[in-house]
Amino acid sequence: MRDQTLKYLLVLPAVLVVFATAVWPLIESLRFSFYQGRTDRGDFPQNWLGFENYEWAFLYEPAFWNSVYVTALYTIITVALTTLFALGLAMLLAPGGKLRSGVQTLLILPFAMSPALIGVSFRFMFNPEFGLFDAFFGVVFPPLADVSWLADPDLAFAVIVMADVWGWIPFLTLVLIGGLASVPQDTIEAAQVDGASGWRVFKDVTLPQLMPVLAVVIILKAIFSLKTFDQVFMLTNGGPGTATQTLSHYIYITSTRYGQVGYAASVAWLMVIPMMVLTYFYAKFVFKKD
Amino acid sequence: MTERTTPQIELSAAQASEFWTGKRKQRFWRGVQTILILIAAFIMLIPIIWIFLAAFKSHVEVYQLRLFFTPTLENFGTVFEEPYDLGSKLYNSTIVAFVTVIFAIPIATMAAYSFSRFRLKFETTILVVILATQFVPAVVIILPFFIMFRDVGLLDTRLGLILVNLAIVMPFAIWMIKGFIDGIPMDTEEAAMVDGSSRLQVIKNIVLPMAAPGLVTASIFCFILAWNEFLFALFLTNREAVTLPIGLALFRGEEGDLWNLLSAAGIIIMAPMFVLALAIRKYFVQGMTMGAVR
Repeated sequence: MRDQTLKYLLVLPAVLVVFATAVWPLIESLRFSFYQGRTDRGDFPQNWLGFENYEWAFLYEPAFWNSVYVTALYTIITVALTTLFALGLAMLLAPGGKLRSGVQTLLILPFAMSPALIGVSFRFMFNPEFGLFDAFFGVVFPPLADVSWLADPDLAFAVIVMADVWGWIPFLTLVLIGGLASVPQDTIEAAQVDGASGWRVFKDVTLPQLMPVLAVVIILKAIFSLKTFDQVFMLTNGGPGTATQTLSHYIYITSTRYGQVGYAASVAWLMVIPMMVLTYFYAKFVFKKD
Repeated sequence: MTERTTPQIELSAAQASEFWTGKRKQRFWRGVQTILILIAAFIMLIPIIWIFLAAFKSHVEVYQLRLFFTPTLENFGTVFEEPYDLGSKLYNSTIVAFVTVIFAIPIATMAAYSFSRFRLKFETTILVVILATQFVPAVVIILPFFIMFRDVGLLDTRLGLILVNLAIVMPFAIWMIKGFIDGIPMDTEEAAMVDGSSRLQVIKNIVLPMAAPGLVTASIFCFILAWNEFLFALFLTNREAVTLPIGLALFRGEEGDLWNLLSAAGIIIMAPMFVLALAIRKYFVQGMTMGAVR
């Protein structure tokens, strides 16, 4: 067989799978979003509505705006905290040695824990009667002793943030350690010989060199934060009330509990837009390397 | 960069003492770092340790905040009994993850070879689209699947789950395997072709054996992704095809969560993933970022 034919034949099955499992449903979702689509009313989708689903979300659904607000705040806070902690930890662990590489290996472990399971374990640990964290915070800061974390809107939000940050620090740390390894060591040493303080070396030498990796990490984390679902579902299930209802959770509820798939699809597509922007920047960074 | 100071041969008394305090300072900071590292490692492990301990506690002991207790294996038995029947969920998870990988890896390998060795029309576009599908929120693509599966009777079946899981696994597999094949030098392949081997023979006899460790790594990686998949299974199953992560909801009884059973189930879910994750730890980051950061 000629290579010219072969090279396309080899790619074809993969392209078909990606098309069938990702591109087609994406387009179909867009189509749904313009229809009245209720699973409880026979034929699906039903009437053409134009932009009415979108209008409905924008104008008449405080729950939609609430989930936008929750998701935006969640994304900003988790991205900032995870990046900061991971950067600190990466700086600590990068130099190498037995202890450090041992801890680096441990960092893989939390990552094998699925987000759903992280949600479960945090709900366990914040249990007001016998939760480990609950007891710990009560000892460190007594006013927190008798607090029902998951029953208070602000504290429940704090807990889903903690769970997310905990779950993602290891991965970001590992990426950043990889990034730090590519910062030329002699530049750092030269700066140290010149008498630059640790902080100056970090700020003027390490950080600028680390910028591309840091940018990739931040975009990647933002993408994953935006679509957060699993751990929120297991940890708070959006509650109390709708205090921790992210966009993904809101779409889940409207489509399964209320059967409004058309409306849910329009909200889902509103979510695709920021995702596309982030993906564009991510792809730019990825392909700049080649 | 500021200019370097000239080397000084004679140290004054003041300089000598500064040298010593410098060394002590250095040792102090090294100690602080070690302590910070240990604290960080501990914090990273607490939730895992806590779940691990609770899995071996009795129903009563879970409700006491204690570190020392008489460990029991009872929970691991109970979760497999009625009404929880975790065994069927374990079976579903295993089948779904395995079959997903068995379909995904050969298809991804073929594509990855082509992307790695040939120039294709729209190559960059295709690769970017594949990359982008990894970022599409699952909740968006699940809606059409839900409707379609309802109409053709694939709701609550393992086959349905396998089909949608391919959506998650494919982009990772293609990019990861492409990375491995990119790393294999081309000269052996070219030499074999000069000697008269066909392209398919070259792929079979040279590339696949050399890429084998990479294929295993990618398979493990995809297996973990499929095993931990949550949202698709939540939408598309309710009785027959329920997987392990969704099975966790079983232990949310009317009188609250059954933490000892939840923990035991959690251990059963994560233990195999720990082993697999450790086996491919070198490539974990690469797989997640798809070679963006190398």
